[in-house]
Amino acid sequence: MREVGFRGGGFAPRNLPFAGALTLVLVVASWQIAASLGWISTRFLPAPLAIIQALVGLAQSGELRLHLAASLSRLAWGWAAGTAAGLMVGFALGLFSLARTPGLAIVSALFPVPKIALVPLFIVWFGIGEGSKLVTLGFGVFFPTVINTLAGVDGVSRSLIRMGQSFGLSRTAILTKIVLPGALPAILAGFRITTATAIILLVAAEMIGAEYGIGAFVLSAGNLYDTDALLAGITVLSLLGLSISWAISRLERWLLAWR
Amino acid sequence: MTAKSAVALSVEAVSHSYRDLRALDDITLAIPAGEVTVLVGPSGCGKSTLLGILGGLIAPSQGRVLMEGPIADDCLNPLTYVFQDFALLPWRDVGGNVALGLEAAGLSRDARAARVAEVLALTGLGAFATAWPKQLSGGMRQRVGIARALAVHPAVLLMDEPLSALDAQTRALLLEEFSALITASGVTTVYVTHTLSEAALLGQQIVVLSRRPGRIRDIVRINRPLAGRRVGDSDLVAVEARLWGLIRDDAADAAREFADA
Amino acid sequence: MTLRRRALLAALAATPFAGPARAAAPIRLGVLRTVSPAPFYIAHSRGFFAAQGVEVEFKFFQAAQPIAAAAVAGDIDVGVTALTGGFFALAGKGELQVIGGGLHETKGFELTAVLASRQAYDAGLTTLDKLPGHSFGITQFGSSFHYMLGQLAAAKKFDIKSVTLRPLQQVPNMVAAVRSGQVDATMAIASMARPLEAAGEAKIIGWVGDYVPYQITALFATAPMIATRADDLQKFCRAYQAGVAAYRAAFLRFDAAGKPLYDAATDAAITDITKYVYTGDPAAASKIKAGIGWYDLGGALDVADVKAQLAWFAAEGLVKGPIDPDGIIDTRFLPTR
Repeated sequence: MREVGFRGGGFAPRNLPFAGALTLVLVVASWQIAASLGWISTRFLPAPLAIIQALVGLAQSGELRLHLAASLSRLAWGWAAGTAAGLMVGFALGLFSLARTPGLAIVSALFPVPKIALVPLFIVWFGIGEGSKLVTLGFGVFFPTVINTLAGVDGVSRSLIRMGQSFGLSRTAILTKIVLPGALPAILAGFRITTATAIILLVAAEMIGAEYGIGAFVLSAGNLYDTDALLAGITVLSLLGLSISWAISRLERWLLAWR
Repeated sequence: MTAKSAVALSVEAVSHSYRDLRALDDITLAIPAGEVTVLVGPSGCGKSTLLGILGGLIAPSQGRVLMEGPIADDCLNPLTYVFQDFALLPWRDVGGNVALGLEAAGLSRDARAARVAEVLALTGLGAFATAWPKQLSGGMRQRVGIARALAVHPAVLLMDEPLSALDAQTRALLLEEFSALITASGVTTVYVTHTLSEAALLGQQIVVLSRRPGRIRDIVRINRPLAGRRVGDSDLVAVEARLWGLIRDDAADAAREFADA
Repeated sequence: MTLRRRALLAALAATPFAGPARAAAPIRLGVLRTVSPAPFYIAHSRGFFAAQGVEVEFKFFQAAQPIAAAAVAGDIDVGVTALTGGFFALAGKGELQVIGGGLHETKGFELTAVLASRQAYDAGLTTLDKLPGHSFGITQFGSSFHYMLGQLAAAKKFDIKSVTLRPLQQVPNMVAAVRSGQVDATMAIASMARPLEAAGEAKIIGWVGDYVPYQITALFATAPMIATRADDLQKFCRAYQAGVAAYRAAFLRFDAAGKPLYDAATDAAITDITKYVYTGDPAAASKIKAGIGWYDLGGALDVADVKAQLAWFAAEGLVKGPIDPDGIIDTRFLPTR
């Protein structure tokens, strides 16, 4: 006779609170220690303290505020415009047969185009002012939003829509009470992608003609091989991404409490 | 002023095809007011299609459905369904789901609240008004489904295999509740099922459909009122046996068919 | 096998009859694919490097900045580039040394034009001293265009901060922006600026060289190259000097009126240069002539100008930290001005 051995378990990763933050702190701390001890050359990879000093310097001189203000307003407007357009088109494709196939063909053709490659065209069309920057961000945000919204609308159970019809709900009521909330999880998941995309595209958008902006600052620091400033700018972009991601998590917890 | 609905439906020469597949063939049927009509038949006989046509969710390829009789003033949605998969909105709590049909009818907030409270009490859901559907068992979810349907005070209740997603014990319990609720409201009911015991317990007119294309094979009547019917009553057992005799061969053939419908 | 081959090569190199010694590895030279490094093209085409016993391999770049970066990364050994803010930052880390002079902006050579957009010109931007209050397209902060504008500001006594700088990354963007009036002014080389003015799409309001004498490009070498292959570098520089001499003979002779004298030597040099740029272009000769600028005799380095540039970049905050100018200049290889 022998005992039956356990062979289940595993494949069920849990989220360990604080482990993420702790890992980041540990990595940065060991990086600083290695740099201080001279194990890592700081010639082209500044130590965390040097980056923090650069950040503090930027904040004290008021430069950081100027760059952040410019970038945040571009992000907000560009993202909002791209999202609004993407939601409208996504819903249209999800709801109307006439829009669906032709629209999907266009979206599929344009989605994989690297938006950075289109920057020169945007400049010719929209100028080197805010126009081309907002369009670059908006364009980058638009396509993932369309795809996610469409997937969300497609994912809404047809039986729920039939139920709505069976209770005499108007088209508008079905849209607002069934399709929209049903597509919301996919749309919010899309927000994660599109906010990150917008931050990535910020550098491309601010490549041309931007006096201020974190992207322009990072580019300029890169051109000048000012590595402290470069990594300080990248840190700001990263923190920006983290805060937005945190905000979306809050939004999800609030809007999707029913899940 | 009409206090009570008494709506009868008549199905006139209804046929329906899904592309090349003929699902229903020349159905003519009277559904009397205030009675429970049960549609039974083997898988793929088109009974759910017929139910969809009855409530206007499916447009028949041929024929038409007429409704006649008075509709009560407080009836907000004459033809009201209860769905097999419950079709609850997961982002609305129980009260919100029950209120959906009332919102569509443009009822005031207070009037909605009153009706919701009324049907939740009726269906034993009073304590669950603010629960999310995901927090409920299947049986409780279907109670929400029936509460939502009753809230609009329907003239005809169209129930599409409402118990088939549930386990046997829950099914037995809910069936009793349905029977009581239908008896109390006196609503005209069309009930689709493939479970013959359900048909015998609920049906006053039991319509047996043949396998595809669905035709009426026979109509069995049980004139005894629903109240007082018990599982195992000899007349009901006899009806079940008769129904099985009518369906058996079709069911065997249907089981051997490719599930291409 | 390799060892035996090395030994064989060493033996050959030691043999008096072996002719010019063969270098172990070619010297990789990073240049922009423009006319500005013409003396290197001539030297290569005419075999001056080979005659010195060094093999030179051209590495062409689209922009000046990556040349310095490629040198730090070890992809090239020597390079010809504008001394930008980025260059000084890299040189300041001890990676690069300026060893010789290159092309100069000098009065009389119309190399770099200041272009005003049609609209801005019509609205009164007709001379350089009216630039304040206008937008100006440059490639990047700390670029040679930025520096030249700074020098113009100093010469014309206006504050560069009164000009709104628009970084546009690439020269074609600068040209497009001034054509469409999205910037009021920018800079462009003669071969781009003249056709624009001829087509009425922009106005030339001044030439940089008329106000700002400036060593546009310099020859630099990597620290490892200087440390380990100084002899090869010495030979490389001698061939470069021969190239400069040929270049000056072809393009930098003038008549009494100051007009350049073109003859068979000019045509021969153009033939050499077209092996590297404007290959197959029917208008190559005129384009090359439009890009000709001053080269000092012997490829001399204008040390004072390098220091002035570094000082300006540092003053503008475009180069951080104290950088000792003497630490990034090595005058052992080529003469100084």
